[in-house]
Amino acid sequence: MSYILGLLQSGIGGLASYLAAHVLLCLLPAFFIAGALAALLPKEAITRYLGRDAPKWISYPASALGGFFLAVCSCTIMPLFASIYKKGAGLGPAITFLFVGPAVNILAISFTGVQIGLDIAVARIILSMVFGILIGLMMAWFFRKDDAEHAEEASKSQLFKEKASIPTHVIVFFLLLLGTLLAGTLQIGLFRNVFHDILIPGTWAGELQSWLDALIPPNPELGIEGVSAHGLFLIFFLVLIAFSAIKGFKSIFEGFNTWTYISLGLITLTLIVASFSVSTTSQGLVIGLNGRLVAEVFLLGAIWVIAARSFTIEQLQEWLWETWRFVEQIIPLLLVGVFLASIARALIPAVWIQTLAGRNTLWANLAGVIFGVFMYFPTLVEVPVAQTFLSLGMHRGPLLAYLLADPELSLQSILITNTVIGKKKTAVYVLLVAIFSTLSGLIFGWFVK
Amino acid sequence: MDIKILGGGCPKCKRLEAVTRGVVEELGIKATFTKVKQMSDIMAYDVITTPALVVNEKVLSFGRIPSHDEIRSWLKSL
Repeated sequence: MSYILGLLQSGIGGLASYLAAHVLLCLLPAFFIAGALAALLPKEAITRYLGRDAPKWISYPASALGGFFLAVCSCTIMPLFASIYKKGAGLGPAITFLFVGPAVNILAISFTGVQIGLDIAVARIILSMVFGILIGLMMAWFFRKDDAEHAEEASKSQLFKEKASIPTHVIVFFLLLLGTLLAGTLQIGLFRNVFHDILIPGTWAGELQSWLDALIPPNPELGIEGVSAHGLFLIFFLVLIAFSAIKGFKSIFEGFNTWTYISLGLITLTLIVASFSVSTTSQGLVIGLNGRLVAEVFLLGAIWVIAARSFTIEQLQEWLWETWRFVEQIIPLLLVGVFLASIARALIPAVWIQTLAGRNTLWANLAGVIFGVFMYFPTLVEVPVAQTFLSLGMHRGPLLAYLLADPELSLQSILITNTVIGKKKTAVYVLLVAIFSTLSGLIFGWFVK
Repeated sequence: MDIKILGGGCPKCKRLEAVTRGVVEELGIKATFTKVKQMSDIMAYDVITTPALVVNEKVLSFGRIPSHDEIRSWLKSL
């Protein structure tokens, strides 16, 4: 009985510290950025570089970058992959796009960066782009005969000739949103250093903290962080946001209602509250004003001003709708995933993981890749799973191999790819991805401890 | 009028269908709606991304959800 209770405690502890620490300053802005990419970016600004006539040195890098800008939605990935293959730049760039997309989308990268580490996030971007282009080039070379057949048909198509440029206010808007994400998550002195302390006196703060520590004991050995008084307050805010967002965002196309404004206001306020540095002492609660707070207030203010001035109501509605759609699709599964991954952390003996993937060897990396292929996790859940492995002693090399392979190669995505390019090409692709993910992990593993 | 909604059943496709149905109802047009979900069938049309709106085998839009007014002006002129 107490064993099961312990497991539940571990699950709830993981969930709570996750909500308090990771969702707010990282995922909240990331969801808004993903929504903005889907709603406000004219796709033609990228697809014009993916046509049959585009030279290779443009179409391959454009496909890799296209993964970042266009691949936030599963609605886009497969159709775009199929049309680049059949009507656009051909098999090579299509494969590059397919490979890079899931690895570099804004949600995956920011989440990886905050929860596992900036080194893995950056490695995930760079290695997936480099290897995505390499795999694309190799596929194009292997199947050069088949590709030539498509070329004639494709050159008639006007599809990829459409041009569009991104308006300046949209670029500024993206930069501000990205700034909010960076200011909230980067752990640098400029943001962290406290320049003024405010003390809220009283013994309640200390009592609250010891109650929280008893409820969800922090266990650094298992990577369980525990929950602070600040965190509890933020979780309470998140619950409020969830309720108001359901009422305010779901029917956004019928217009902005009071709940929409309440929930946007709450989100802004929560992001600001989250950037304070808060600590409990015996005298009371100490609230520290830091650079992060100043940056967030400035950026969020600018976002409100530009949103109100430069965008039409329809654009804002579409932005909020897309954002809500991502939240609705991803967050419930993610919460379940975090809960289960935290329980697994208490269940799996660390010795298993350490023997299998504790060192950066070829086999360890291969094990990471194979686990990624056969375990299918919903979007982003690969990150808490990876964190569980990390806290159980997995080496960062095999961890990267796993993180690259998991979103790329699920059995489901292999099946869909199969319907577009056929069995033979799919088999070669899967093999190449497995080889290159293993190599990426191995190479990355050499550079880190 | 033969209206096809191209897309694998993502929320965007449902939204596109809902908007189009609204316009059809408003204009009192007789129309049949078909959902094209198979990737190979979708690729038979000249589209890059879904959701796409196809009326009488002609692609009117893809990759976005046109506004109610936009769709109304297209359907009116057909």
